[in-house]
Amino acid sequence: MKTLFSIDIDRQIFKDEVISKTVYWQSADFVIDRKVKSNVETITFQTSNDNNSKIDIELVMSKFNQKLNDFKLRQIIEEETKDIRTILYVKAFANNDNFEEYE
Amino acid sequence: MLKHSLTTITLKSMNNVIYYLLPFYFRKFSDNEIIVNEIGDYLIVPAGTSQRIVNKQITKDENVFHDLLSNYFISLTPIPDLIEVYAVRLRTKKAFLDNFTALHIFVLTLRCNQNCVYCQASSLKEDACNTDMKIEDLKSAVELMFKSPSEHITMEFQGGEPTLVPNLIRFAVEYAEEINLIEKRKITYVIELLAICKKYNILISTSLDGHEKLHNLNRGKTDSYDKVIAGITKARQYLGFDKVSALMTTSNDALLFPKEIINAYLENDFHSIFIRSLNPYGLAVDNTDWEKYSSQFVQFYKETLEYIIELNKQGIFFVEEFTTLILRKILTPFPIGFVDLQSPAGIINGVIVYNYDGFVYASDESRMLAEIKDYTFRLGHVNDEYESLFYGKKSQIISKSWSTECIAGCSDCAYHFYCGADPVRNYSTQDDMYGFRPTSMFCKKHKQIIDYIFTLLSERKEEVLPIFKSWINNTCG
Repeated sequence: MKTLFSIDIDRQIFKDEVISKTVYWQSADFVIDRKVKSNVETITFQTSNDNNSKIDIELVMSKFNQKLNDFKLRQIIEEETKDIRTILYVKAFANNDNFEEYE
Repeated sequence: MLKHSLTTITLKSMNNVIYYLLPFYFRKFSDNEIIVNEIGDYLIVPAGTSQRIVNKQITKDENVFHDLLSNYFISLTPIPDLIEVYAVRLRTKKAFLDNFTALHIFVLTLRCNQNCVYCQASSLKEDACNTDMKIEDLKSAVELMFKSPSEHITMEFQGGEPTLVPNLIRFAVEYAEEINLIEKRKITYVIELLAICKKYNILISTSLDGHEKLHNLNRGKTDSYDKVIAGITKARQYLGFDKVSALMTTSNDALLFPKEIINAYLENDFHSIFIRSLNPYGLAVDNTDWEKYSSQFVQFYKETLEYIIELNKQGIFFVEEFTTLILRKILTPFPIGFVDLQSPAGIINGVIVYNYDGFVYASDESRMLAEIKDYTFRLGHVNDEYESLFYGKKSQIISKSWSTECIAGCSDCAYHFYCGADPVRNYSTQDDMYGFRPTSMFCKKHKQIIDYIFTLLSERKEEVLPIFKSWINNTCG
């Protein structure tokens, strides 16, 4: 396994959920190691592919950063709207609770 | 100078309105962003708009403010005044769940008189009579079907080739009619057998892959095309023109013939086609390079759709049905009946399969896995209780990964309203019901197709929207 590069992320800026979702979409192409020390998380990208020269590291880093910011935005929307989403689903489906639990 | 600054500040504060976010999703789209609300309504907005919405930087004097407000992306109150309307619309989008399982597939035999290269049903030779369904199992299956709460039931007969066992088709239809004298449900049948079809108002769906060369090539035969066209003609004469439909499958060879396939459908007086990709099940699994096929299929889909749009512009009404299903989800408040694009998934909720051996499976694809000795989606036997089959432990396990709203990679996706969850496909292609979206071909394919449809809707709206609306208005979902 060869290490390609590492990124340090401030977990006060990017929450664990945001980092996890970002890493999820990168994990098809890389083995990703995560280590947390204090409020800093170090993300290390590794590959088992010997042909590393074909990997554009700058592009991978750029996409990672872009996804990180996108997922942070999604997280804010999720946190700010989760209650109204629950109310919406309750109002939409609450009258459908006349079924029996089946074990 | 000072006065001018003060005026500017006052105007800005007048235009700044306190607003609240409602749930929405976004995706980069060319140089713009597409934003989608909780019921699938969309807006295409300049890049960076999602960030501005979240930062509460959208001001009242911007056109987009009113679009966001009227389309449930933002609200002026913590709970929108029209929350009840919004909830009804959400309920309507999920109305396909109201009646539970409507499509009941009966696999009457695995025997087949064709030899299709893309066969996913593990069909056997005509003399393999041990794969015919037993009458007592068929009887139990029909009885189970009537335990479904759905008012409108569709019985679909599959194989193999179901017409090789006309006695079973006749028994199933007549037994269903007998029970229905009391039940009085609306039943639609889909099979191939003229006398019974005429008597019970049965619809016929048959394979037609395209022009003669391709259709025969897919079956390793020289006369299959002539026979199927003769059969279609005869059935139309006997039953009526609208009682016969055709279904194509995009084999590897078909990828080379987008125009020829459409022309063959037109020559045979069909006015729609469902551009259907190969499925990674049964015998088809080993016959294809799926990564390569998937990207070629998307290109094929685009070329075929362009050709169909061109025909419509020339005044020839012809519908691409897969596009129409997605358009119906994007442009109308209504749900669709297509089980592959539903959340919660169509398996069990919309379709169930009674296999030739008497076992019950979650979907057609599930029973195809069973032919390679994988019984993960076997729910039980036709003699088991209805509740243990449809609500039992197996169904409960499957249900944990059948909603796009709840699974990783889908729940954040702006397109999850237009797509569907498919635990059987995930399991078949990734050895895991839950699935892994970064490598999912299903995910990649649908994103590319939906992106393309949105590109058409945004960049060629004047040209395509009237055509798309005519497709939605003249088909049923």
